[in-house]
Amino acid sequence: MTRSLHALALAAALAAGATGAQATLKVMTSTTDLADLAKAVGGSRITVSSIGAGYQDPHFVEAKPSFIVKLQQADVWAFVGLDLEIGWMPVLLDGARNPNIKMGGSGYIDVSRAVPVLDIPSGNVDRSQGDVHPLGNPHYWLDPDNAKRIVALFRARFTDLDPSGAPVYAANEAKFDASLDSAEKTWAPMLAKIKGKPIVAWHTSWRYFAEYSGVNIVAFMEPKPGVPPSPSHLAGVIQTMKRTGAKVIVMEPFYDKKMADFVADKTGAKVLILPPSVGGLKDGDPPNYIALMTYDITQLADSLP
Amino acid sequence: MRHHTLIFIAGSALLAAPLAAQQPDSAARAKARADSVARADSVAREDSIRTVREIERIQNEPRKRDSVPKPPPQSPATGVGAPTNPRMLPDFSAVVDLVADLSPHSSTQPDGRRFSVREVELAVQAAIDPYFRGDVFLGFDDLEKVAVEEAALTTTSLGNGFEARAGRYRMPVGKINTTHRHDLHYVEYPYVIQEFFSPEGLRGTGIWGSKIFSPFGFYQEFIVTMVDAFGESPDSLFVRDPANKTLSGLGYSARLRNYWDFSQDKNMEWSFSAVTGKRPQPISGGSDTLNAVNVQQTVVGTDVTYRWRPLKQGLYESFLLQAEFMYQINQKNPAVPTGTTYAGPTSDYPGAYVFGRYQMSQRNFLGARYDWLKDPENDGAPFNAVSLIWEFFPSEFSKLIAEYQYISRAGYQPSFPTYGTDPRLSRLLLQATFALGPHKPHAF
Repeated sequence: MTRSLHALALAAALAAGATGAQATLKVMTSTTDLADLAKAVGGSRITVSSIGAGYQDPHFVEAKPSFIVKLQQADVWAFVGLDLEIGWMPVLLDGARNPNIKMGGSGYIDVSRAVPVLDIPSGNVDRSQGDVHPLGNPHYWLDPDNAKRIVALFRARFTDLDPSGAPVYAANEAKFDASLDSAEKTWAPMLAKIKGKPIVAWHTSWRYFAEYSGVNIVAFMEPKPGVPPSPSHLAGVIQTMKRTGAKVIVMEPFYDKKMADFVADKTGAKVLILPPSVGGLKDGDPPNYIALMTYDITQLADSLP
Repeated sequence: MRHHTLIFIAGSALLAAPLAAQQPDSAARAKARADSVARADSVAREDSIRTVREIERIQNEPRKRDSVPKPPPQSPATGVGAPTNPRMLPDFSAVVDLVADLSPHSSTQPDGRRFSVREVELAVQAAIDPYFRGDVFLGFDDLEKVAVEEAALTTTSLGNGFEARAGRYRMPVGKINTTHRHDLHYVEYPYVIQEFFSPEGLRGTGIWGSKIFSPFGFYQEFIVTMVDAFGESPDSLFVRDPANKTLSGLGYSARLRNYWDFSQDKNMEWSFSAVTGKRPQPISGGSDTLNAVNVQQTVVGTDVTYRWRPLKQGLYESFLLQAEFMYQINQKNPAVPTGTTYAGPTSDYPGAYVFGRYQMSQRNFLGARYDWLKDPENDGAPFNAVSLIWEFFPSEFSKLIAEYQYISRAGYQPSFPTYGTDPRLSRLLLQATFALGPHKPHAF
């Protein structure tokens, strides 16, 4: 009888162990970049899906009920924060009715808390300044140093939620960091070429990229964040480009290229469509974060004189 | 000590020699001194500027670029940082809804005004505690003065797809009724909503329960409510006993939502609703204190919404097609007090609308709506209306609408007292709305 009980206990322990080994975290992220970085850490221990597509403006995502179903079943909700998702995230989180992924829940990850933030407005802020983000510029994933911080955050939080996976998460983080370090070595000559060169960007989303690469953004096509360019503003941009010698206008694939083409025509510059996120081009390209940064840096270096 | 003295004397002598050599030319010496001072000033100034710039650079520098990135001091990788709302203030916002009626013959507004502040909606929203969220919407307008539009306590932690609510809320009957009037894509609710419920739609005060589920792989939600009354009673109608005296006299509603994604760009919702309850209806031959009886009324309906919005060009292009059909079922022979005659609706009435809207550019939308119904307040007389709508969004927080509407109807109708008796009517309505503060986004 005692032997039988021991056997039963052993079987139960094995079953529990097996269950633990197969345990997977269901991770939902707001952007494809966070999804890719989460996958880099979680590997096969997580399933991950993104609400936004890589070629979609992350400010304006439709809060579809199909996302609510996914969020209802999620263990983790990781989002960019700094009010990037303010226009749609509250509807989805309220609709999902999942206390684990609401503020204060174990799976609620505001990724912005792990990175240094640029462009935090000083003084009073109101909407006369356009679609300004009072908490700072949210496009921080375009700095690879921040990618390492995000990965470190995911490793810590996934470990909290799934302690048995700690060694896997730590190993995956180290592997990602090594891959990124290796990639940075290949980027170095291109970054040296980019550094200090003047460019124009459509939106403030390239501020972190500029901090990292050293490229000098001399003007934005938008007069204020989120506000379409006015003729008088474009006239000023053209003057600035002529004065500084800027020969590239960088913009995301989801903005209308017409105005940028006009300015480029007047200044002899080139309009460069760069994906700001994983999957920002056709057919899921670039497929991952390092490929995204490689693509953007290469394209910019090739376009600059 | 002696060595030190000798060194001092020798040093003085060495310094004195060049100084003595400069004595004869005092003017040159003065100029040289001036040049030296100027150079020193210039160097100092440059140093000062360099220092200031260095400080500015350090102040502006977000992080020191090390080979290995480090988390910021206040934001370790555990996701802990300073709270963004340390006083835990709720979100306060206001939405102002301005309407102008430039219809050719006269204003068609209930108060007869050409320009009016139709409503100012004040919203206060916040989490109450770990278990509930609170939403309060107060409406201010010239007719009703102040009204509690919504005031509801909603659970946030039931889990398993359940949600419960208590308080006043917009009734989940049909698709468009849950949308606040200032957020519509046209100036007024479709006529089927106005006629079957009220010009402001249907609200209720009571309890609400819902569950979301997806057993067939698509989103479904089932919502039931129990409210104090089905709609608001007209002030001019007086009944012997309130409808809510018995539980059967309360208002009840149910709605089943079904949603499908056809692709990333296209999706559709097809839902079904029903609401029932007792509503006061007029009797003739009564008195000033008894001129109505409570009569069972039920409205059943279905609604379809199709959306197209390409993800890549979603800022500039989209299309929406929406249709609702409702059918009002009235109790035919209600009991009335002796000596009186029932004067309320004795038939069943259908009503519907179809609305389409195409986005022409980032800020411009063009829409059209067709309304059709058998007017319950005019013995089922036909009512048709066609509307053309131009919608312009200067930003996410302001909206302008210009709407031309052509109505064809069977002459005078009690529900449109200001329209006169002309069977054909043209209306021109303008609307401007703007939001102040963090107005919460509305449901999809």
